Amino acid sequence: MASTSKDTVSTNVTSQEDIDDDLLPGACPESVLNPTDSFEEFETEMSSNPQERHSSLTTKCSTISEIQSEIGESSKDMKTVKSSDDLKGKDEAMSSSASSSNLTDQNGDGVDSDKDEYLQSPELVNKEKHVFILSSAGKPIYSRYGNEDKLAGLCGVIQALVSVVEDQNQDILRSINTKDCKAVFLVKGPLILVAVSKSNESETQLVMQLTYAFNQIVSVLTLTQLNRIFEQRRNYDLRRLLAGAERLIDNLLIFMEKDPAFLLGAVRCLPLPEKARENITNAIISTCNKIRDLVFAIMIAGNQLITLVRMKKYTLHPSDIHLLFNFVRSSESFKTAESWTPICLPKFDATGFLHGHVSYISEDCQACLLLLTVQRDAFYPLSQAKHTIAEKLEKLKCIGAINDALNRSKDLPTTNPLKHIGIPIIRHFMYKCKSTAQLFTSDPISLDRLQDYRMMHREGGDITVKKIEKLSDIDYVKNYRKFCNQIHCATVPAKFIFRSNSQDTILAWITNGFELYVTFDPLVEKEQTKKAVDHLLQWIKREENRIFIMNAPTF
Amino acid sequence: MIDINSKINSFFIFNSTFGPKEGEELKRILFFHPNQVTADARKIQVGLCEAVVKFMSTFSSEPCEALQTQTKRYIFFQPEKNYWMVLVVRLPYPTKSMSSIAEKRGDMIQPVMMQNLLVTAYKMFRMFVGLFSDIPAEDIYTKCQQFFTPYILSRNITNDVTNVIQGINYLPLEKNSFFKVVCFIDLLEINYSDFKCIAFIYNEQLIWNGLSTDDMLTLYQYLVQSLLPKQVEKEIQGGAVTAAQRHGRFISPPDGIHTLDDIQKLVKVYLKLEDDTETKQYYLIIYRTLSATICLTVDAKKTLELETFRSLDAFIGPQLYNIASTVSEQCTVHALQNAQLANTENKFIYFNRLNLAFKTSAPINTLTPSAAIKPEVLTIIAELHSDRKSLGNYGEIIIKTLDEYWITGKSSNEREFYVVIQKKNANIIEVAEEVKQICEAQMKGIFFYPI
Repeated sequence: MASTSKDTVSTNVTSQEDIDDDLLPGACPESVLNPTDSFEEFETEMSSNPQERHSSLTTKCSTISEIQSEIGESSKDMKTVKSSDDLKGKDEAMSSSASSSNLTDQNGDGVDSDKDEYLQSPELVNKEKHVFILSSAGKPIYSRYGNEDKLAGLCGVIQALVSVVEDQNQDILRSINTKDCKAVFLVKGPLILVAVSKSNESETQLVMQLTYAFNQIVSVLTLTQLNRIFEQRRNYDLRRLLAGAERLIDNLLIFMEKDPAFLLGAVRCLPLPEKARENITNAIISTCNKIRDLVFAIMIAGNQLITLVRMKKYTLHPSDIHLLFNFVRSSESFKTAESWTPICLPKFDATGFLHGHVSYISEDCQACLLLLTVQRDAFYPLSQAKHTIAEKLEKLKCIGAINDALNRSKDLPTTNPLKHIGIPIIRHFMYKCKSTAQLFTSDPISLDRLQDYRMMHREGGDITVKKIEKLSDIDYVKNYRKFCNQIHCATVPAKFIFRSNSQDTILAWITNGFELYVTFDPLVEKEQTKKAVDHLLQWIKREENRIFIMNAPTF
Repeated sequence: MIDINSKINSFFIFNSTFGPKEGEELKRILFFHPNQVTADARKIQVGLCEAVVKFMSTFSSEPCEALQTQTKRYIFFQPEKNYWMVLVVRLPYPTKSMSSIAEKRGDMIQPVMMQNLLVTAYKMFRMFVGLFSDIPAEDIYTKCQQFFTPYILSRNITNDVTNVIQGINYLPLEKNSFFKVVCFIDLLEINYSDFKCIAFIYNEQLIWNGLSTDDMLTLYQYLVQSLLPKQVEKEIQGGAVTAAQRHGRFISPPDGIHTLDDIQKLVKVYLKLEDDTETKQYYLIIYRTLSATICLTVDAKKTLELETFRSLDAFIGPQLYNIASTVSEQCTVHALQNAQLANTENKFIYFNRLNLAFKTSAPINTLTPSAAIKPEVLTIIAELHSDRKSLGNYGEIIIKTLDEYWITGKSSNEREFYVVIQKKNANIIEVAEEVKQICEAQMKGIFFYPI
């Protein structure tokens, strides 16, 4: 992949012609991550018609059963962890809130009154972004704010809107806009997902977030089970099966708003000395290469990837890794004990569960090890493997290296990249290597700061007009959203954008090999930015072994 | 050019307060195009729009602007409280192959063009028929029908920059000629104190204006897009222009003013003149000699005498002939100078939001398609134009597309300047240099920062 990228870079170089062909920071011949661009994916999703979309959700062959058959396991009852008895069990009288499709009724008298008042209550009013999830029958499943029970009326209206549009020649409702607000709709399988946002995110970016929210639900239930539930009972109240998943979705939504990894469809790696990462990887391989059912061994810390060892032939999609990040970060219990948990990775295989051994590597280190297998009862062998790995890491002094990186020790060049690069006009940058789907920003997120985001959000996610004195990295990333959108626009994609105003100067540049976004001081000379970008790319190239995972280890 | 009938799915106006009860839905629909759509289908369309408007009102205090589905785009415009105008356009059916994306671009109607179409349609209606809310409920259906049916059918939506940025093409004159125009107008208004001159146009370019910019744009569009093209066509068909016509004639009403009946045919318009505090109704009188056209207004309450018009004709005719000749000479000189400047491939657009001045290198009436701006480039310009915040009071943006187009946008307070350059293997510094030269050559004296 890298070789093709190099060719195209040389032909596509626009403003920075003098970049030599070998300079493609972060590219390596094989990638641990599946670099399929999620943007293209979402665009295809957006453009297919309802029948096609339905079939794409149901007819997928299972990667998990493929693996099982390869290693000679029977695949029976793999996918039924939560038995369907659960569904048939407690029967409730469920009223259909979805009046078929008479919109004019909804308008006249009926739905309004007290329910509409609830929408104006302080819990819901003035929020930057609402997310609602409901079943295609109009039953509320999730609301980011407020109590979804009280939103049955709103959900009824959403369901009616979606179905009226669908009744007109199989059309699909996409979005509604006012000057300051966007409502974006995504119908996926038996669910309807809606985002109502006053942020500067584009429609595509919001659809992507809704897709993530859907995938989060799939990761708890599997697509097979989700579809089956609603085939059996259209009116089923899904919240009964999703207990606990609300928190996952809550956290995921915050995570997506703050971390550019989602904007770019890439994964952040924990910057580590090359030797340390190699030692960690080898420790995992040497311990686990005898365990036949192990598909992935992943070590992560603070939403950053340390290493990923995989079964030959299989790679992970960045979006699955993001879900794992979110899962680990949202579950305090992993910190206290080794856990054994089923998890579905929707891009890898939406139809079934993998089983994961999840544990922190040691008491004094925030790195978390996930061992994912297709075997349902492999807790003990994996637990043993984990302890062996932990011992090896201790012996090799890897724990120290991880902690240094996490605590952003001052000696590391990656702790404060801008200072290390030494070009004062650069205020912020983010870089994605496309062939490996990895990113690096000038402001790597540390653990304690992630906690801050959540604290900040606990204040309510309200729209506030604050006077910005010093931009935080989140503010920079927010400014990039529009540029990202224009670069990835399906109809008129831009290759290069340079914008200068009284606030700042932003440069966005995409080649076949990378994406780069840089914020400079306002009104800098174009010559200066050109030089700065050259210099920046050289620095990333020099540090690539530290900031990226440059190989794709297998068991 | 976009074939309007195949792309416009429907255009309708509704007011939900007109038939509040169930079963009265049809009363809410003031106008629906195309006419052959069944009552049920109309109800469904309007019902959906009502629901969408209501849904968004729970989240935003701003009125609903757009609804997008897989195959259609609905653009909403609420010109007066509870009155909604909706334009529905079919989108090219998306397929997965790349070739169709190129096709899609060419076919695409910019949302801002749809918005402009609605706003212009409403302003025309307001100028010639009045406010929706001033029209008695029993008349509104026929009035809308009479106005909008011919209006919507006569619209040509071309993927042209003039439909994205709506402005007025001013004719720059040297001092003495401009002075002549102003003297003539003053003299006319002193001699005929009931009459006010509200516009002086040469060809399609405005020289003098006595209206608020908002009304001026509407009147200008009416003249340039509808009245004058018809007139010019008539003149060409008429072959050799008769001697009488050389000395000018009233062109609105179309057959001139010769009898008392003709006075009855004068068009009435709702306008706000410079000294007015509110909109009033006026007679609109339009007079033309050679390529010069002037618009006069008289309070609609005044009784008009045929004698006044005869005298007016005798007064305006010879004077306007003189002025038109002077201006014509100057235009020839200008055209020669411009021809020397314009022999480059690069295109530029200038727009000033304050006086709506608009200038472009691309010919206004695009006869040569190669000179037009490519749709994908137009999309980018449309986005830059509608997102003012991005550049702020002063700023610059340079965008490079896949097809090696470089689009530069600059803003300086209320002024905007765009340059399109197609150049392979160029870099940003070369492009910026070229833009600077175009800016200096075309926009002497207008300051854009960063330079």
